Amino acid sequence: MKKIIYICFLAACLSLQASAQTPSDAIMMGKGQICFGLFYTHDTWDEYWEGTLKRNNGNIGTLTRQTVMPMFSLGLLDRLNLLAALPWVRTEASAGQVKGAQGFQDWGVWLKGEAFKLDNETGDLSLHAIAGFGGPASNYLPDFAPFSLGLGCLDASLRGVLQYKLDKGPYARVTGAYHLRGNCIIERDYYYTTQGYYTEEVDMPNALTYGATIGTWLFDDSFKIEATYDGLKTLGGHDIRRQDAGFPSNRMIFTRVGGGLQYYFPFAPNLSVTASGGYVLSGRNVGQSLMLTGGVTYVLGLWQ
Amino acid sequence: MKNIFILIAAMAFFSSCEKDLPTYISFEAYEFASLDENGGTWDPILLDSATQIGIPTPEDVTSPSYLAELADLKAAASGASADELEIVEYWSSNSLIRWNEIARELAAKYNLAPAPNPDGTYSAPDPANPSNYPNFPFAHPPYACRMFAYWGTAQFDALIAAWEYKYQYNRPAAYEVDGSIETHLPENGLPGYPSEGAVIAAVSKSILTAMFPLEKDFIAEKAAEHFNSLHWAGMNVESEIAAGDSLGRAVAAVFLNRAKNDGMKNAQAPRPVSDSLKAAAQAQWGWQWDNLEDPPRPVGITPLFGRVKPWCIPNVEAVRPVPPPAPGSAEFQKDAEELQEIADNLTPEQRKIANFWADGLGTYTPPGHWNRFAGDLMIKYRENPLRSARTFAYLNMAVMDAGISCWDAKYYYHYPRPSQAIPGFKTILGIPNFPSYTSGHSTFSAAAAAVLSHIYPADQAQSEAWADEAAESRIYAGIHYRFDAEVGNVQGKAVASYTIEVAEKDGAQ
Repeated sequence: MKKIIYICFLAACLSLQASAQTPSDAIMMGKGQICFGLFYTHDTWDEYWEGTLKRNNGNIGTLTRQTVMPMFSLGLLDRLNLLAALPWVRTEASAGQVKGAQGFQDWGVWLKGEAFKLDNETGDLSLHAIAGFGGPASNYLPDFAPFSLGLGCLDASLRGVLQYKLDKGPYARVTGAYHLRGNCIIERDYYYTTQGYYTEEVDMPNALTYGATIGTWLFDDSFKIEATYDGLKTLGGHDIRRQDAGFPSNRMIFTRVGGGLQYYFPFAPNLSVTASGGYVLSGRNVGQSLMLTGGVTYVLGLWQ
Repeated sequence: MKNIFILIAAMAFFSSCEKDLPTYISFEAYEFASLDENGGTWDPILLDSATQIGIPTPEDVTSPSYLAELADLKAAASGASADELEIVEYWSSNSLIRWNEIARELAAKYNLAPAPNPDGTYSAPDPANPSNYPNFPFAHPPYACRMFAYWGTAQFDALIAAWEYKYQYNRPAAYEVDGSIETHLPENGLPGYPSEGAVIAAVSKSILTAMFPLEKDFIAEKAAEHFNSLHWAGMNVESEIAAGDSLGRAVAAVFLNRAKNDGMKNAQAPRPVSDSLKAAAQAQWGWQWDNLEDPPRPVGITPLFGRVKPWCIPNVEAVRPVPPPAPGSAEFQKDAEELQEIADNLTPEQRKIANFWADGLGTYTPPGHWNRFAGDLMIKYRENPLRSARTFAYLNMAVMDAGISCWDAKYYYHYPRPSQAIPGFKTILGIPNFPSYTSGHSTFSAAAAAVLSHIYPADQAQSEAWADEAAESRIYAGIHYRFDAEVGNVQGKAVASYTIEVAEKDGAQ
């Protein structure tokens, strides 16, 4: 069995006050196999976009967001996987008098199916569809920019992943997803965005996420190296006004470049280590994050 | 693939659950619990008498000009479109509540602190050039409480005058002159001349435009819509609206004249004055509050708001609290340790209370919060607009006097915030740009609760519970020591006792 079967990986995308993780690769666990992953992400920014204005903030200094994310990917069938993740997040600022936050962020579950796969002599073309659902896993406050652990809303997403991979190792992949978001609940019953609202509920804009990856497997499929480009764009939402605080329903946009590595140890073929990084190039109502992630994955066979 | 289709169906269901969120407090138009027919005899706040400002004697209901107006009204009311009737429903039977909501909304919109300039300095809003950044006004709590006070008192005086003329001229409402007029609001039986709705719209337009000059067009649009709605509702003929409009504008001018010279224009003191207050505190008390932002804001919010002309208290000295415990003293340590203890073990309930009452930047401020509560009580008791104006007037005079008194204490004692005096202490809300002692939330809220309890005795327990919770919320947030809150509470009640004394004698009880 090719080692590639064992691989599982979750990409994380981070924004000003919230992170959302979403599986966006084309890897499938075989039936009865489960891959566990544990990832640590260190994300910092000291500049952010207030609307379109890029600025720093002496009362925040550097915002650091650390995430520990356990997850698994289970092969229900060869062509249908179930994934789940539960990140724990801690946020803090290097300046100012406001205390950060910590706790579980959003649980997420995904069903990932292989829609089709065309094999030819040199490689294969595949399309995967991933349906995801997630929501807050604790009572964290979404109305706590820039410290809030997440957006505090239910998120239902549908993603497509199209990949072409050469048998020799190189691959290219594009992905796009639509996220339907429910309302989030805050702890005051009046708030002003572009007008006042008399409710604790906040109508969250839906969002698109997208990405493109090129990479290759090397050394008998034991080492992967890839470059990534991805982004997020909410469909609606409002800008942060001058010197105002962020809000869950802000219009959030970013594009990011990054890269990733994964290595399988010859002496323990079920075990891999991963490292990845990303840097936000442009954005709106988000922080200009530099994020670094390290993790391990381990594969077990549960049934045949 | 089947699973994916199930999920798509789930997503469709999920999105169909979304509904429009409320942008105003909706209430059903109601018949007034009473008409307060003697309202014209109540004591106004600034007017010498209810008839200080005259309006034309109305034409008789048999006159050709009235009959022509009546025909217009009848046509407007019976021809009102669905959209127009929706507007009638929005303004409802007591439009004072709606205009108060608009005032709150503008307070929230303008409650943003100036951003630092690239060189680390800060610019201040300039009333002469309101559209220059930072826009005028910065509607912080002192600004907001004053705005609500002028708005509420002007409404009260204007409606006392309106009631005087209503019962002096006793022109029956149009729907009583012509029973075939199709009305879209309850027929309350108030005499029609002048239109109370037009008075309210005119006062609101004048006061709010003066307070939020950049909103001139928005406010004018709202006022025009309100005037039109009186036609569509079948409530007032044109001469009643015109008389109400001119009366409202003239009364508002009296109040704006007071506002011009009440000392507010000096409240945002320049740096040398601000520094001298700080130095005086350091010399007299041995401590001083410092703004800890980066870059530091050189002057706190309105250091001289304590010198603005009050409504009912004789002077700030009469209600100035005792000095706070010195930092490091046993009394201070006890409350400082409590803050640390709460911060380290904050419960979800405490966090919720802190956020519910935060009323910080980008909100309608604590004075706005109390206006909202007052509006809810007015609806509950189906008050007529005059009765409601009385509540808004006394509530907001007490709240502004509480602000003046609180700001006097804040800059007289110039006491450091917990985040300054307790090493390493962190909060869960942003720290306001003014000294700690006494708590504005506590002082505003205690004064507001006292006035509301006086006017709505059946709701006293609720009002006082709100005030206590508002005070407590600042301790949970790490913004105030318990002594800031407790002394502020006493101070707010002391201020309100002067307001209530005036209310007791105004002839409305």
